[in-house]
Amino acid sequence: MIEFKNVSKKYPNGTLALDDVSLTINDGEFVFIVGESGAGKSTMLKTLFREEKITSGSLIVDGFDLKKTRNRKIPYYRRKLGIVFQDFRLFHDKTVFENVAFAMRAVGESTKSINRRVPTILSIVNLQDKVKCFPRELSGGEQQRVALARALANNPSIIIADEPTGNIDPKLSLEIMNLLIKIHKHGKTVIVVTHEKNFVDYFQQRVITIKDGKVVDDKVGGMFDA
Amino acid sequence: MRRYSLGYLISQTFKSLTRNSMMTFVSVAVLVSCLVVMGTFALLIGNIEVNLNKLGDLNQIVVFCKLGLEDEAVDEIGTQIRALSNVKKDDVKFVSNEQALLEEKEKYKKSSKVFENMEKDNPYPDSFVITYKDAEKVADLEYELSNIEGIETVKCRADLAQTIDSIKNGVIIAFTGFLAILFFVSIFVIINTIKLAVMARRQEIYIMRYVGATRSFITTPFILEGISIGVFSAGISFLIQWFGYSKLTDVVGSDYYMLDFLKFSDKVNVFGFFDTNITLIVLVSFLSVGIITGIIGSMISLRKYLKA
Repeated sequence: MIEFKNVSKKYPNGTLALDDVSLTINDGEFVFIVGESGAGKSTMLKTLFREEKITSGSLIVDGFDLKKTRNRKIPYYRRKLGIVFQDFRLFHDKTVFENVAFAMRAVGESTKSINRRVPTILSIVNLQDKVKCFPRELSGGEQQRVALARALANNPSIIIADEPTGNIDPKLSLEIMNLLIKIHKHGKTVIVVTHEKNFVDYFQQRVITIKDGKVVDDKVGGMFDA
Repeated sequence: MRRYSLGYLISQTFKSLTRNSMMTFVSVAVLVSCLVVMGTFALLIGNIEVNLNKLGDLNQIVVFCKLGLEDEAVDEIGTQIRALSNVKKDDVKFVSNEQALLEEKEKYKKSSKVFENMEKDNPYPDSFVITYKDAEKVADLEYELSNIEGIETVKCRADLAQTIDSIKNGVIIAFTGFLAILFFVSIFVIINTIKLAVMARRQEIYIMRYVGATRSFITTPFILEGISIGVFSAGISFLIQWFGYSKLTDVVGSDYYMLDFLKFSDKVNVFGFFDTNITLIVLVSFLSVGIITGIIGSMISLRKYLKA
């Protein structure tokens, strides 16, 4: 469970990016976070993966109090998250297999377990035929699927996707969104930050709208209304 | 908690060194330049010290015996010198007139003709080189020595010794200061070079953080890289220093034969603890500076990207 309680985030330059945000996301929920540029969506995500510390209030994710958790414990917290970025952030000198395996290496998984699990994950994202390819040999949609596979590698309970379709064409974007829905159906909590009105309206999930750092709307089965 | 595979981390280190070959080359080049400059400077200080020491013969007095004395009379002079209270008994060195001539011939090899006629009629007297205990009482000792029967002259260079000693101390302090500044400048340059290398790979570090890699998983390959660069640079610097210095001393030594040059095979005392040769000191110093700067450089550069 993710629980924001009166969370505010003020940057050193004085910008108040989150202003008294309170909301709860239950385990297994699918949530779209929408809002204009500069509304505070990215800051919200950054506080979720503890890139930024909140200034006041409390933020508890899967039992981790992110205001109090010590820095050396943060890597263990991040293993509960699978993060997908708009720009994919893949290692360009590693193959598809190695990119996914890297996430497992980083948490100390054995080679045996990596060799067993990576092909399974790649088949979930339909990339079983591309294991030996390098990212430059793949389309944008395929690269994002590799990023998604990497996010799933350590079996996280929460998937956070920051504009996952921002860099790919509409047809392939639908494929990515369908994959996220598929992952959600496997019991994961999925949080998607997006500007894509069509998808938000089409999938009819919970929609949280942010404006000037505040939650201005929060509806299940809501529409893109930023 | 699962343990990371050391083999994997080492293989990543070497992959990364070859993958980022340009930055590796720049780091090695900078480190080699700094080490060679520092090594040259340190050897220069060593050579200055050796030659100033030789000039000084600091706490010594030389007494020359009258010409034509019998061996017994010379022995008696030696006994009387050793009996004086301000004389280090074990450090009284007798130099016979034959030995003195031989030493001079050796010293001025190029002018050997001058010495040809001296073989038959040796103009050098027997002498004693005396090391004294207390510099304050040198004047008394000088007086006592001049009163010994059979001594012709007493050459005491206490004033000169003091002047040279203070010059030597000044020169060594100044040069050691320069060496220290050079050391810090080198560390600064090396750290900045490593910083550039790390900055070029910040994306890689971010990815590692997001997938939940611990600090040690992220830093180990970078630190191993720093160590590898340090070891590699130290090896190259040592070869350059050894080859360059040997060639230089050969060339300069043949023109300035009055000067003494330290050799890589010479033994020196390290901080009063043990004796070892200069080869080992240079190699160990290069390795230490190379490895330490490699590690410090990596740590400082990574700190920025590892806040949490």
